[in-house]
Amino acid sequence: MRDWKAISQAVGLPLTGKQLDVLAPLDSLEEIFRPLVQNLPPELEPVFQVSPEVSE
Amino acid sequence: MTIREAASALRARRVSPVDLTSTALARVERNQPLNAFITVLSDRAMERARQAESELNAGKDRGPLHGIPIAIKDLFAMRGVRNTSGSKVFENLVSDFNSTVVDRLEAAGAVILGKLNMHELAYGTSSDNPYFGAVRNPWNTERSPGGSSGGSGAAVAANIVYGAMGTDTGGSIRIPASYCGTVGLKPTYGRVSRYGVLPLGFTLDHMGPLTRTVRDAAIFLNAIAGRDPKDDTSSRHPTIDFVPDDHVSLRGMRIGFPENFFFERVDPEVESSVRGAIARAASMGAELKPIRVPDMSAINAVGQVTLLAEAAAIMEPYRESRHLFSPEVLGRLDQGRLISGVDYINAQRVRRRMRAEFAGLWQEVDCFVAPATPNTAPKIGEKNVRLGDATEDARIASTRLVRGINVLGLPALSIPCGLNSQGMPIGLQIIGPPFDEAIILKAGAALEDGGVGIPPCPLA
Repeated sequence: MRDWKAISQAVGLPLTGKQLDVLAPLDSLEEIFRPLVQNLPPELEPVFQVSPEVSE
Repeated sequence: MTIREAASALRARRVSPVDLTSTALARVERNQPLNAFITVLSDRAMERARQAESELNAGKDRGPLHGIPIAIKDLFAMRGVRNTSGSKVFENLVSDFNSTVVDRLEAAGAVILGKLNMHELAYGTSSDNPYFGAVRNPWNTERSPGGSSGGSGAAVAANIVYGAMGTDTGGSIRIPASYCGTVGLKPTYGRVSRYGVLPLGFTLDHMGPLTRTVRDAAIFLNAIAGRDPKDDTSSRHPTIDFVPDDHVSLRGMRIGFPENFFFERVDPEVESSVRGAIARAASMGAELKPIRVPDMSAINAVGQVTLLAEAAAIMEPYRESRHLFSPEVLGRLDQGRLISGVDYINAQRVRRRMRAEFAGLWQEVDCFVAPATPNTAPKIGEKNVRLGDATEDARIASTRLVRGINVLGLPALSIPCGLNSQGMPIGLQIIGPPFDEAIILKAGAALEDGGVGIPPCPLA
């Protein structure tokens, strides 16, 4: 599991004590998400649409 | 009355737009305890109703929404009107432009009665708003209407308005539709412009109506669908007349019913009701096909990572104003700030793979049917819900069967299919291929015509 306390401090989030409880759902998300992204083939591209129509 | 019935009555001069609007405003007043509205636009609505009446009398007919009282969730910008997004942050924001949806609805002649209460920033599913108060479910005012478009669900179910606009980032149209016993349509991503609507998750946000019938939802879609140069993500896919014929048939339609995921951890009364509707579809000539859907738990996880990061990015300018958020929403924003760039990108890569996996399903079936929510409306303030022998967090339960469909961008229609033993509505959802709203509306209308539905809300 990730050290959310350390990560939150690193990004400058002022969470201490019980406030850190709000990060608990990230642990259960990690359990499902992490295995999904461990072995992605390099050629798999993200779903991003950068529209060329912005100046329309 | 439905929109179609009211439109017919207007053209037969049995009622006028002013009559309909006056009645609707009286219902707003009478149903104040539901707390469905944040802003009521009485004078503006009456002025628009008089204008609609003059136009119709002069033979200028803008179509079936002309002169029909509706309402919009309070995150659609409307020129000169407060646009709170259910948030302390935007409490005093007055829009100086119209969202495209507002422009299109007004061009279709709809009379916008006001702006509807919602979950704070659309980031949650209870509509128990800490600043504007909890919205109450018209079927049982101790219960939640769901959310985040809770005011939209309540106002339609209570027959205050003929239809209302909502938004759906992880189920926020279909959840209140399910809990309040209304129809709720989440069109394909890109089908309806997002311009002028406060984003929650750029790549997940969908705009759509809540109505009392499927054909009424299609009437809304006719008015709001189509390319908008102001929204880069809006599609050029051609629009059609989405309103199903009066005599639609399910004969030959291949309707899937998932053997995995969608009927797991579902309240037995919900399962029984949805399976009953599926059996009804078979008796009406549909070809039922058991299907196995790709890993929806994985798709939901991708959706959560995406939403956490996108919502945190959107609210980054208010990072130092922590006092302007409820602890619940602030907690989610804080979680989002910890999602790394690498994880966000990788979530979008998995998303591409999931979309490709799902695309194969449309070779087997034309659409598929599943519960919209695994449960009926919980009590206001209830944090956990019982699902058979299990207990689950109320928000996670409410989004579990709907969130993944936003990740995939597919169209989905929620319709009521029964009441449970406590008299609360049960909803099913019909999910179809990208840009094939027509097939899910056809299936929904046929089921509705075939008797799948619920009686009007006693409060209506």
